[in-house]
Amino acid sequence: MFRNFNKWCLWLLAVALTSFTFNSSAQGEALFKAKCASCHQPHKDGTGPKLFEVRKKWADGGAKEGSIYQWVNNWQIAAATDPYAKNVSTWSKTAMNAFPELKVDEINSIMDWIDSQPDPATVVVGAAGPNGVVEPGMVEEESSKAWIWILLAVISVIVISTIGGVRRQLKQATALSEGIELNDALSYMGEFKVWAYNNKAVVGVSSLILFITLLVTGMQGLGNIGVVQGYQPSQPIEFPHSVHAGVNGIDCKYCHNSVNNSKSAGLPTVNVCMNCHKQINGNTPEQQAKIAKIYEAAGWDPSGAGQYTGKTKEIIWNKVHALPDHVYFPHSQHVAVAGIDCKQCHGDMTQQKETAKIQLVEDLNKIEGNVKLTKPTLTMGWCIECHGEKEISTGSLDSKNSGYYNEIHKRLLNNDKKLYSGYLKDGKVTVKELGGWECAKCHY
Amino acid sequence: MGMTRKYWKGLDELKETPEFLKSRDEEFPKEMSVEDFLGDDSLAESSTDRRDFLKFLGFSVAAATVAACEAPVVKAIPYVNKPENVMPGMPTWYASTYYDGNSYASIVVKTREGRPIFIKGNKDHGITKGATNPQIIASVLGLYDSARLTTPTKRSDLSTWSAVDKDIIAAIAKVKAKNGKVVLVSNSIISPSTDKAISALSLAVGSGTESNAFEHIQYDAQSYAGIRKANMQSFGESFIPDYDFSKAKTIVSVGADFLNSWLLPTQFAPQYIASRNPDGEWMSRHFQFEANMSVTGSNADERGMIKPSQQANVLAYLLKAFGAPVSGVSSEISAQATKVADQAIKSLKASKGASLVIAGSNNAAVQILANKLNVVLGSYGKTIDVANTINMFKSEDEKMIKLANNVIAGKGPDMILFYGVNPVYTLPNGKAFGEALKKMNNTISFAGHADETASNCEFICPDHHALEAWNDFNPKKSHYAIAQPTIRPLHNTAQAQESMMVWGGVASRGGKDSKVFYDVIFDNWDLTGFQTQTEIADLNTYWGVRVHNSVAEEMTLVPVSVTFNETALSGLSDKLPKTSTLEVEMYQKAGLGIGNQANNPWLQELPDPITKVTWDNYITMNPVEMTGKYATTFDQEHGLNLATITVNGKSVTLPVYPTPGQTPGTVGVALGYGRGENQEKIGRAAFQTKEYGGYKEDENGKLMPIGANAFAFLGSENGTMSYSAPASIKQEEGMYIIAATQIHHTVMGRHSIVRETTLETYKNKDKEAYNPSYTLQKLDENGHHVEAPMSEFDLWDAHPVENIGHRWAMTIDLNSCIGCGSCLIACQSENNVPVVGKDEVRRGREMHWIRIDRYFASDEEAAIGTRKDKDTFSFDKAEIAAENPKVIHMPMMCQHCNHAPCETVCPVAATTHSNEGLNQMTYNRCIGTRYCANNCPYKVRRFNWFNYPSYKKFTEINPAQDDLGRMVLNPDVTVRTRGVMEKCSFCVQRIQAGKLVAKKEDRPVVDGDVTTACSDACPANAIIVGDWNDVNSIVRSSSADKRSYQALEEVGVKPNMWYKTKVRNEDNKELDLLQVEPVAHGSHGNGGHEEKAHH
Repeated sequence: MFRNFNKWCLWLLAVALTSFTFNSSAQGEALFKAKCASCHQPHKDGTGPKLFEVRKKWADGGAKEGSIYQWVNNWQIAAATDPYAKNVSTWSKTAMNAFPELKVDEINSIMDWIDSQPDPATVVVGAAGPNGVVEPGMVEEESSKAWIWILLAVISVIVISTIGGVRRQLKQATALSEGIELNDALSYMGEFKVWAYNNKAVVGVSSLILFITLLVTGMQGLGNIGVVQGYQPSQPIEFPHSVHAGVNGIDCKYCHNSVNNSKSAGLPTVNVCMNCHKQINGNTPEQQAKIAKIYEAAGWDPSGAGQYTGKTKEIIWNKVHALPDHVYFPHSQHVAVAGIDCKQCHGDMTQQKETAKIQLVEDLNKIEGNVKLTKPTLTMGWCIECHGEKEISTGSLDSKNSGYYNEIHKRLLNNDKKLYSGYLKDGKVTVKELGGWECAKCHY
Repeated sequence: MGMTRKYWKGLDELKETPEFLKSRDEEFPKEMSVEDFLGDDSLAESSTDRRDFLKFLGFSVAAATVAACEAPVVKAIPYVNKPENVMPGMPTWYASTYYDGNSYASIVVKTREGRPIFIKGNKDHGITKGATNPQIIASVLGLYDSARLTTPTKRSDLSTWSAVDKDIIAAIAKVKAKNGKVVLVSNSIISPSTDKAISALSLAVGSGTESNAFEHIQYDAQSYAGIRKANMQSFGESFIPDYDFSKAKTIVSVGADFLNSWLLPTQFAPQYIASRNPDGEWMSRHFQFEANMSVTGSNADERGMIKPSQQANVLAYLLKAFGAPVSGVSSEISAQATKVADQAIKSLKASKGASLVIAGSNNAAVQILANKLNVVLGSYGKTIDVANTINMFKSEDEKMIKLANNVIAGKGPDMILFYGVNPVYTLPNGKAFGEALKKMNNTISFAGHADETASNCEFICPDHHALEAWNDFNPKKSHYAIAQPTIRPLHNTAQAQESMMVWGGVASRGGKDSKVFYDVIFDNWDLTGFQTQTEIADLNTYWGVRVHNSVAEEMTLVPVSVTFNETALSGLSDKLPKTSTLEVEMYQKAGLGIGNQANNPWLQELPDPITKVTWDNYITMNPVEMTGKYATTFDQEHGLNLATITVNGKSVTLPVYPTPGQTPGTVGVALGYGRGENQEKIGRAAFQTKEYGGYKEDENGKLMPIGANAFAFLGSENGTMSYSAPASIKQEEGMYIIAATQIHHTVMGRHSIVRETTLETYKNKDKEAYNPSYTLQKLDENGHHVEAPMSEFDLWDAHPVENIGHRWAMTIDLNSCIGCGSCLIACQSENNVPVVGKDEVRRGREMHWIRIDRYFASDEEAAIGTRKDKDTFSFDKAEIAAENPKVIHMPMMCQHCNHAPCETVCPVAATTHSNEGLNQMTYNRCIGTRYCANNCPYKVRRFNWFNYPSYKKFTEINPAQDDLGRMVLNPDVTVRTRGVMEKCSFCVQRIQAGKLVAKKEDRPVVDGDVTTACSDACPANAIIVGDWNDVNSIVRSSSADKRSYQALEEVGVKPNMWYKTKVRNEDNKELDLLQVEPVAHGSHGNGGHEEKAHH
């Protein structure tokens, strides 16, 4: 019992310790990303200097004790009192922000976290970086493997016919040696016919099965034409949504910024990427290689203080959600008017470590608050199903309230109560009931 | 009782020729055999039998299916740096101004992702009040013309700007060194900033001072120099006054087509329509005396037929009636014209001081008579404004004629520059001028194409397209406007003004994003605009507001009074045009105008408002005169007789088109055709094409221009160009096939389509007299037969559209519609309507979603069943009436029936009804059975017989067949493919967009949120669009107007469109007698009467 008790105590202690260190490090990382990361990096100078072992540097450089914390809170005070700090303030023309809200232990947790970061320059190339490394081979998914199958089929046909020929010759040879008369005129087909005639039942049943199987797979195959669910094209830059929308918590609309106003959500233009990536050029060689592509597109020379060369180049993405030309899907109607969250159709992009793809309907159904749909994502059935279920809020029917849908509901209420009560049988007015299933809403 | 006039769309319908009866009964002409259709003789002889065909078919279906399994990879390319005011997927609108030397309008340009794709009138600012014309709307297509020059050329070799500049500057220096002369020929320059650029060039040539070394000749293809000259003689000052048609209670136009071409139709049309409101305090009375049946004449209340040379006679006749006879000027006119003139006198006397007389002639003597008459009538200061003069049309015909003669004689100046003009095409002696020009050096053209003149010049320094350039304009004395670029120059072109400044040595080339001329405009507006006003304190704000509106608000001018110099009237008789037994009048068509957009397939395919002919010009002649000599009816298989007109030894051969209303003894020929005679590269669509694609070639292998150039017939009288001439005509062997849109869609005796009344009847009688509602019989609860309105009869359950949700509706006022065709071009531009070419139009396969039906009406004819003499009446007697008929223009498109017959017959539910009242067409469902088109009572559905954007037959004409031309397509509208039906969608893309705007602002849809392209374009505001369920909407009250009716109401399809009865301010006793209020009577409805009596 005692032994057990000790064990329990030790275990608890261990848990407490680990969780404490874990918390501290997590806090440091979070704070760094929230407050510092836009200018500083652990191992690389950016807008601000690299911060790896900065406390040691200050102490070695003869800075006053504690002046580094003063610096973080308000660098001007520190520069006024400490000659070392004053010297640091000349590092760049860009003045550092003041962070009076950071307490000493918080600053320490940031520094601790920074000091725990390995220098990417010393990390062996190929080892997994912390974020966004994509398994090799994924990019190759578009290259067709059909030729292998064709080759196999050709080989097998050759093999079969060769064996068949050998068999025939052997048979003829044996027949010859045994002196039996053989009907040479009988071709393969003839032989098959004879055999089939002798095994009518087997042939009948199996051809029926074959026929039905072909029919069923054929129909299923036809049903899959144009279904693009799961489509995940390769991209010129393997963009990890999980880092941007997830780790860094950037709002979808920061990059896809016409989503509220236009029919298209808009791909971020390169200058939008550069808002952040002017400073952030990656911690690992993989990241740096990817970000270098943005620099190339924007015509940005990151060396020195960084400057635009004026030589721009467009980034040609492969469209993921490519609707046919005759479909008009307005994002702003769904996002700005209906208030639908991006993830309801596009899935939780904060978790999307690889390049974007069309989410499976099963995955979308797991998203909280989503209407559960059965048809594959991005098919017309999928749209229609949702329009059949989704409710359009009646809002208040108060005469003072004069919103768009209030007016529509009022017209219904005042002019055709029967129709309206029919709509309301399931307790809601759906998109479909206001015309959301009509052809010319999306096709024109 | 019933309707009153007989309407017909063509003489063949009136006479019920066998060809007509045959074609009338066939919705889709099927005269073409399979061999013709395939167009390849070898195919007919091939050994492919039916089974092979089925095998191929099966294989291709399977192949297509397999191919469709793989979704193509679509690329998405975002901007590197997004321009601030561009939102992908959303249009950006820019206010600007259109001026091409002939038409002027304040416009708004719609751009998508930086591409201009649609032009409409600016309803908020400018003198044109939102009015445009087909040419202005279609000009956006010219931007993407693949025949545009992409770089400067020297002797047709591609060159660079630096090389060309060097050569030209050296040439100028040489000319200067030998005291030579430089001439700039331009169209009328109304841009104050361009004047600065020209004076920079002039100073450079004239060694620091303006001198004789530089001459600037302004020359317009359509000259109005006669008006300026007449005013010089009448009032001592050369000007074109401003006319205000909205104030004129009586309008007498003697040969002036002021709704289509005369001076400033974009300003006059809205003014005219404002005076034509039958519900207003007064409604103007419009008399037209003319030779050709013009757009204006077709809208007139009374129309007198005169020869072009008789314009003076009419004016003299009127002057005589007002006690101011002019000695030496004959006042003799035909009996028919006299009748009209007498009425005009009556009306003018009644509305003295509020009347307006205008004359179309470019002969100063005729214009002096018009001036005198206006003085007598007291029009000056009332309907004619002498203070706010029109700056356009400063053509110096005399100087131009002299220059041309000098050049032809080899005595030309040392250097000529051509800016905005094409004299080789537009001068009567253009051919000789061109030949002489070719031999000259130092000839420079700023033309965007290597056109007739430019191709004979040493240098072509292509100017920007108007949509790529900054400019400013001063069309009227008190009115200034700005044109701003809506796209970065597509090609390596340079603004002409910049070139002039560079050669003048005051600027250096600014490259693609040049601000050279912009700076001139900005400084000019700062100096003369900003610094003379006090309203806005900040220059940038001032400039921003001006560019945003594209105009400066009008300044008020001190009224100017004029005194008529009576000596101007002396000796007029010698200067008047001479009468001849046959006179030809040259006129401008609504589509092609003076021909500067002859390469624009939209305009070529625009049916002429009167004749409904596409892709050709022709000789118009009164069918009465043609009888016995020429074919007065035609079918599109055999065409029309050819004839040669000769004027002054120059001849053209054209088909003779029977045009009711053409004055006997006259013929008309449209200008603007026959471009590219010498194979100039003026654009793909400017030449005749073969039946199955490719260009037609003459015996020498040359491309054949479309139509013939009538500018050759121009003459000059007293130093001004004249647009009519004595002529002789000779019938030629052979027939010419012509493509008209009118004989495919027939009225079939259903007179409930168009309704018309007189102002007298409208004011004094009940609605039932002129706009009777249809009733049918039903049994009431007591088992009695009673009359009930159409709305009570339903075969099907009604679609729940009334008062629920939206109900998109439209009213079209037949009283306002002038038939100009702007709506058609706007619709084509907005909805990616394909161009199909002459051959397909001939087969009745034009694709226009909206057409303008033109119905002729005769004065004497009464509605069937209502004539007292119906026993003795026969259609043949109506022939005489065809000589000078009344005309009604009626826009016709999908009526969006709530009981649509097309919807019930579609086997695949590709056309369905929306709960907003729209008849929806779902292209991706349509399998092309064409049942719907067969079932449509309005014949507005169009079938895609071919894949117009890719089939080789349409390579030369369809703009969507090249990469540049495709840029004009509206990305919000599907480009339809072969085998599907299409029709007016009520601009559903705009409805969706309009609703979305309201939804985002969380407010109900209000008037103005949703407009259609046609209603946007209408210069007369004849088309009103809105949500009928909104009880406050204009369309709701308009549809309830007593003039409103629904076309073919009796068939019970319940359209969402209403037409409004045309009211003519005419004396028409016959019509008044026929339109009587119904007496309550027994058991027969009006509809029953008509239908029964017909057949």
